[in-house]
Amino acid sequence: MKVHIELFGALREADDSGAIELDVPAQATIAMLREALQVYLAEHAPNIRAGLVQRSAFASDQAILQNDHTVPDSGRLAVLPPVSGG
Amino acid sequence: MHDIHTAVTDIAEAALDPSAALDFVSDPRFGGITTFIGRVRVHNLGRSVTGVSYDLFRPLALRTFQTIGERAEAEVGGPLKLYIAHAQGRLAIGDLAVIVAAGTPHRDEAFRACRLAIEAVKHEAPIWKQEHYVDGDSAWSEGCSLCEEHRDAERAALQPGSQHGHGH
Repeated sequence: MKVHIELFGALREADDSGAIELDVPAQATIAMLREALQVYLAEHAPNIRAGLVQRSAFASDQAILQNDHTVPDSGRLAVLPPVSGG
Repeated sequence: MHDIHTAVTDIAEAALDPSAALDFVSDPRFGGITTFIGRVRVHNLGRSVTGVSYDLFRPLALRTFQTIGERAEAEVGGPLKLYIAHAQGRLAIGDLAVIVAAGTPHRDEAFRACRLAIEAVKHEAPIWKQEHYVDGDSAWSEGCSLCEEHRDAERAALQPGSQHGHGH
């Protein structure tokens, strides 16, 4: 399935459009999506620090999704690097 | 629900408004009001800053503010009005980045609720700060991981007695 991933913070620098699309198997977990994103960034955005994706969370509009969660059927997610508000 | 006000304000449309926060948390039942205002400062980690940009994941940020408010209500265990607003976009030195205000019958609950809320906003809300420097360079601030596995690892790495390992 195609997964649309909205980018924030330092990860915005991966694509000027503010989002990327990745192909993952149906019923893929967040952990699998994390691996796929790391591979994609290593190839397409080598300036992004290795390890940033490991410290980032994946989320729907409503909640953080942990590694064992499956990718939502909507195929839409956000990837959230470490936060620094306030 | 109406005792918690949450907002993300696009700085291009309006500045954060402390008087609106005080109005919201004012109530005839309340003798104590506390306010925290976060402003953009001119230096960070030894570098001169000309401004900052805040990026937010708005729907989850608002939901997180609401959850934080409900946690503050549970912590206080009595009447509370809480206002949480954060700016989005490019801010100049001195501009307001965040306002938290709490109104309660007495000062102790007001201080506790305000402190709980601002710390949680900083550590849990999906918000990112990019600093712009006088030399034209920009950098995203180091932050707190929202990923559970990494939060656990960060906690385990902290020295005993230290509540938080970051300087923010």
